[in-house]
Amino acid sequence: MKSVMRIISRYLVSAVGVALILLAVNFVVFFIYMFQLNSIEQVEYPVSQIAEGLTIQNGAYQLSDTTEKIIEGNYQWAMLLDDAGKVIWSLNLPAEIPQKFTVPEVASFSRWYLDDYPVYVWRRPDGLFVLGGRVDSVWKYNIEYQMVVFDKIFIWIPLVLLINTLLAFAIALVFGLRLYHSLKPLAGGIRDMSEKKAVKLSTKGLLGELAAGINKASAHLVEQDIALDKRDNARTKWIAAISHDIRTPLSLVMGYASELESNTELPTAEREQAGIIRRQSQRIKTLVNDLNLASKLEYDKQPLRLSPVSLPGLVRKISADFLNGMMDERYTINVEIDENTQDETITGDEELLTRAVSNLITNSMQHNPKGCVIQINLVKEAPFISLSVIDDGVGFTEEQCRSLNQPTEDTDLPYSGLGLTIVRQIINAHGGKVKFSNRTAGGCEVLLSLPLYLGQANCE
Amino acid sequence: METIFDCKILIVDDEPELCRMVTDILQREGFRHVLSASNCREARQSLTKDRPDCVILDVTLPDGDGFMLLREMRADSSAPVLFLSARDEDQNRLLGLGLGADDYITKPFLPLELILRLKAVLNRTYFPLEQTGPQERIFYLGETQIDLESGTITRNDGEQITLTAKEFAFIEKLYENTGKIVTIENLCHAAWGDNVYRYENSLMVHIRRLREKIEADPSAPRYLLTVRGLGYKLVGVTKK
Repeated sequence: MKSVMRIISRYLVSAVGVALILLAVNFVVFFIYMFQLNSIEQVEYPVSQIAEGLTIQNGAYQLSDTTEKIIEGNYQWAMLLDDAGKVIWSLNLPAEIPQKFTVPEVASFSRWYLDDYPVYVWRRPDGLFVLGGRVDSVWKYNIEYQMVVFDKIFIWIPLVLLINTLLAFAIALVFGLRLYHSLKPLAGGIRDMSEKKAVKLSTKGLLGELAAGINKASAHLVEQDIALDKRDNARTKWIAAISHDIRTPLSLVMGYASELESNTELPTAEREQAGIIRRQSQRIKTLVNDLNLASKLEYDKQPLRLSPVSLPGLVRKISADFLNGMMDERYTINVEIDENTQDETITGDEELLTRAVSNLITNSMQHNPKGCVIQINLVKEAPFISLSVIDDGVGFTEEQCRSLNQPTEDTDLPYSGLGLTIVRQIINAHGGKVKFSNRTAGGCEVLLSLPLYLGQANCE
Repeated sequence: METIFDCKILIVDDEPELCRMVTDILQREGFRHVLSASNCREARQSLTKDRPDCVILDVTLPDGDGFMLLREMRADSSAPVLFLSARDEDQNRLLGLGLGADDYITKPFLPLELILRLKAVLNRTYFPLEQTGPQERIFYLGETQIDLESGTITRNDGEQITLTAKEFAFIEKLYENTGKIVTIENLCHAAWGDNVYRYENSLMVHIRRLREKIEADPSAPRYLLTVRGLGYKLVGVTKK
């Protein structure tokens, strides 16, 4: 919804801007035009200059040739009145113009017209110079304002602009709001679509076609989602079914192999071979279990049974179990639990977390058949608890590190077993992060960061 | 019946080959009466006719499921039941155990595992006393005798010391897991009934007192060893 508001406000600003720019352009063009027009008529040949073209030589008035040409080119006639109002010199004076003027007559034509001729006057020491233009060539208007208007010019021009701005803004706002109301459901629809909700917008009105398009896209997405979910479900179920069905035949293989292995009547070589069959079928069992769990975790079909879990207790229990039963002298486990972590519990699925940590220990043992020291550290770094499993063995290859840290969607099968993939899946399902790395001193380090409170990591 | 090998055991599984294998395994181990059924109907007949002492039950059966059968069976029999199932989901295991099954084994399994678990269940049900005979409750750490029956320690010089309740709980737990690491949580659970870590300081105090009673040199223990970060273990246990 924010983006719609932003669109509308930008629209308002641009509408007001357009109005103001148009206003300004109009003003400028108008003034430039006026200025240029006046300069043609008056700046080049102002009446004062023309008046100066008339001089007294040897007691008689003489008009220079250039001035005469100007008068004849741009005007029609000219005359000079003395102080008494009598014409003492004239050029092309029409017959209807009288030879003597009274004061009221002079006062009248000096501002307006003289017998429809537009008239310009200039005061000379010897009288009044009168220049007559062609009839209908000039529209004369006597401008007169109250001084108060000019005093306030710096107030009213901005005021007019301001009122115009406000008006433009108001009009734009009305149109903008209408646009906003028609865009709002569309924006909501797009948002819902991104949240994978089904969208059904009204297709009436100006933006009906857009709404119909969004509806269609949403329907497609929902369909696709259902299809994908169905496929994931089918895949998970398929793997679950296989891993179920393989158990009974595998029981028979494992059972009889184990019986043969412990049958003292058989030669040693045969018993050893039976032992190999037994061990390999146990590997198949692990693989099948891992495959089933990995597929469930991958497609979110493994529900987490959440309860408070004490990680220190969990780490100690797993380590003790390994040391008590499954390990020989080649391997050592050192556990270091930070004092501030002793009392911490997190919300999690105890069995899955146990599986994750056990997988890491098993991984270290599997890749270091000559033995290694496994170090488990537990430190609280609020809002996370960091659990690292470190060994001094052969470490990961670069390729392994990369594929474990950046699993791509359609990744190839993991390099060896699903153990570490499951670790990542379990920790991710708990809202945590996993980092696989090699240590400069040799060996590998797997760092699990688990949020102290589930869901907290997602809120960040 | 004299021993667990006299128990009548009924195997219910729809896979005849598996039934035969389990029967073989059990008979080789020494069980004399092993019966089998391949579906619910046969199982019901056998339950009423043969009255087995223990049932090994598959969950998936052609005419019903093992959970249902267990529920019916519990109406008039308390014979122990072990599930042997291809379903490994936790909810199935918990459902089975919740219905009163004595154990839940997932396929595939090792014969030895099945036998050990079956024997444990039979011993627990029919011969509970034999497991913890009185002679089992007395042991020696070097020259020091520990008697868990009376809760006393008799030293080399004949001096008798009584164990406190907590010390008794710790030494008993450690003795049950001789040679193995017992975590701090497990020891606290044995003594205080919960596994909250804040008892660790108390635990250390009790262990020190216990060492003063059983070790010749408590600061260099030979029998009650600390496993740093994890817990403790009891080693060098002998019986005379």
